[in-house]
Amino acid sequence: MTKTRRPLSLRQRESLLGYLYILPWVVGFIVLTIGPMIASLYFSFTDYNIISPPVWNNFANYRKIFDGLPQFIASGDTTVLGDPLFWQSIKVTVKFAALSLPLGLVFSFFIAVLLNQKIRGVNIWRTIYFLPSVLAGVAVTLLWVRIFNPRVGILNPFLENVLGIEGPGWFTDPNWAVPGLVIMGLWSAGGSMIIYLAGLQGVPTDLYDAAKVDGAGVVQRFLHVTLPQMTPVIFYNLVLGMIGSFQYFTEAYVASGGSGGPARATLFYNLYLYQNAFKFFEMGYASTMAWILFIVILILTALVFRSSELWVFYEGELKGR
Amino acid sequence: MNKKYALLVLSVLLVLSLLLTACGPKPGAEGADDRTKVVIFVGLGTGTDPHQISMQEELAAEFNASHDDIEIEFMIVPYEEAGQRLLAMIAGDTAPQLVGPMGVGSVAEGLEMWEDISPYIAADNFDMSDFYSLSVDLNTYPDKVVGLPLGLYPSFLFYNIDAFDAQGLDYPPADFNDTSWTFDRLRQDALLLTLDANGNNAASPDFDPENIVQWGYDDSWIDLRGWLAPWGAERVGSPTSADYKTAVVNSPEWVMGLEWIMNGIWVDHFIPDTAGQQAIEATGADPFSSGMVAMWNSHTWYMSEGLYDLSFEIQIAPTPFNPEGTRIARAHADIFAIPSGAKNKDAAWEVMKWLTSEENIVRVCEIYGCIPARQSVQASYVESLNTRYPGLDTNVIFESLNYIDIPNIESWTPEPARVMDVINNTQSLVMIEQPLTAQELLDQANVELQKILDEYWAEQE
Repeated sequence: MTKTRRPLSLRQRESLLGYLYILPWVVGFIVLTIGPMIASLYFSFTDYNIISPPVWNNFANYRKIFDGLPQFIASGDTTVLGDPLFWQSIKVTVKFAALSLPLGLVFSFFIAVLLNQKIRGVNIWRTIYFLPSVLAGVAVTLLWVRIFNPRVGILNPFLENVLGIEGPGWFTDPNWAVPGLVIMGLWSAGGSMIIYLAGLQGVPTDLYDAAKVDGAGVVQRFLHVTLPQMTPVIFYNLVLGMIGSFQYFTEAYVASGGSGGPARATLFYNLYLYQNAFKFFEMGYASTMAWILFIVILILTALVFRSSELWVFYEGELKGR
Repeated sequence: MNKKYALLVLSVLLVLSLLLTACGPKPGAEGADDRTKVVIFVGLGTGTDPHQISMQEELAAEFNASHDDIEIEFMIVPYEEAGQRLLAMIAGDTAPQLVGPMGVGSVAEGLEMWEDISPYIAADNFDMSDFYSLSVDLNTYPDKVVGLPLGLYPSFLFYNIDAFDAQGLDYPPADFNDTSWTFDRLRQDALLLTLDANGNNAASPDFDPENIVQWGYDDSWIDLRGWLAPWGAERVGSPTSADYKTAVVNSPEWVMGLEWIMNGIWVDHFIPDTAGQQAIEATGADPFSSGMVAMWNSHTWYMSEGLYDLSFEIQIAPTPFNPEGTRIARAHADIFAIPSGAKNKDAAWEVMKWLTSEENIVRVCEIYGCIPARQSVQASYVESLNTRYPGLDTNVIFESLNYIDIPNIESWTPEPARVMDVINNTQSLVMIEQPLTAQELLDQANVELQKILDEYWAEQE
């Protein structure tokens, strides 16, 4: 007797089709993402200069990063560190994140609130504010380097003539290079603004009506209705903004010519990683830095997710039940 | 259902096409008509200006018309991305067959990348005697010879005759024996050639350093080693001792030279700072052809890039004497090199010989602005220079070769990229307002450099 194969059920056929449709993406993910990740994990334990095959060096790359850290913490002397530039890049990146993240969140939210008003031509304003976020990073950075130039740029004359403030050297001053990049980033706040705007338009109007009936003023409605309703969107932008600020590269590279100057004031983590990989021919050490960055971002993101239980409110969620 | 299966087939085809593309034949191995293809990667030095590109294409056409077995193709890559692109090609097993023109520094930074051509020289019994010995030495390392010398790029001063005439100044002397031409005299001239928007020079009490429209002197297209090599230190252009174990960037001569430069930027204002350089860049021209710099210290490679459509008369003059009483005119030297991972190295060697042959080296050097490294062709090169730059004192170019920096400003050091990172960081500090003196800056750089050298030698043990 011949064995007849049971035909696939409709559900099985549809599942199979589904998997086949996503097959291109899966293959791409494995070949172009997971594969390189596994390779870079291996390289992080090797001396690898791209030209010659990698040579296993155990944890030497990781040791180099953390060498001398206790002595540095005790003395403040950077020369005891295994790699002082690694820690300089951490310092620059954290400084940038600490400035750009809260400013970016507040600024884009503020613009979104303004653009949520029923005023004539609001769509034109929304387009104007959104446009900078779609412009190429390199071109925008070159434009801003010119604007910030203390000799021929337009910003310092504006500060001096209109506000009576003597402008700093911006990208020629180590103390003002990072703030300059932060200001440059605020110009492209349109991307976050659009997401906030969508969130604002999703806030149920009956909540505002109820608040008005209870006698809440504009500020109180903003604080007790708008903000809580917007916390999921703020959370989303916070997570993406945090990841983006730790991966900051293009603007720092273009503004400093790839050097991380002046005086290493724009030596961001990713820029230093890039220098190790392609300038110093230390792809193994660069891979180590990449994995450390991955773990740090993972931990920080997990912490933010964990904290969201305290301050993110989802509509319809009933706490304690 | 038919639609679903059509989409399914499309998905499978898409995946297959991606896989086939990745596994397909690598580009560059075979030329047209099955000729062996030699790709010449240009971008680590000069050769990327539009007129240079067209000249290289003509050269390639001429070679290809006269060779049945080899086809050459120039691959022009912008300087900013050339290093990464080359690394990616080498890592992806698609290395070009030749890379150049490339200076001593680029060779040194990736020394492991280059094929040793001494077996080819020996096999062909190739005669190296016609090349300037200096050009051979600069590309000979203890374990390899990296390439046949292509050309030398001595340095000297380009100056704006109109600017000198406007201030009623005597021109810098062309006589190499004139010891009055010192860095002190250069400074005096530069002060008078530096003008603000109101026409006041930098020696005037009414001079406004915030509104400079013309600087007296600039040397911004070189790194710190290039800046300080002319000042007479024992190791000239090298930041280390002869055994490469001790950092010597804070030698008294380098400190003196850096003080001169820092005073020139921040006290006398005849050298543009970073903001000034960005202002010049904003004109879209190089510092000298923009007309914003009266005296420009550079090399012969600048001639093939910058001396076009000038709105003023120019001339060239020797590098001044330093306070030690010596003259050191730094130089670059270029070659074409074969990546050790390249295919068709035999064909690459043949092309390398063709490019540097007696018959072709002058033409190749006209593209890149170098003095041909072959002694036998100097007369024809001088003739071509006089044709291209009538009135230019070409004697300055050749006489400068007698004052070349040894050790060279691009000579090898341990961890060359990391050493240059320290050097460049120090240079960036010079160009911005900060409280450290020249001595303090170089002492700081010396400490960083010594750490790099110590780590390198510890790894070698």
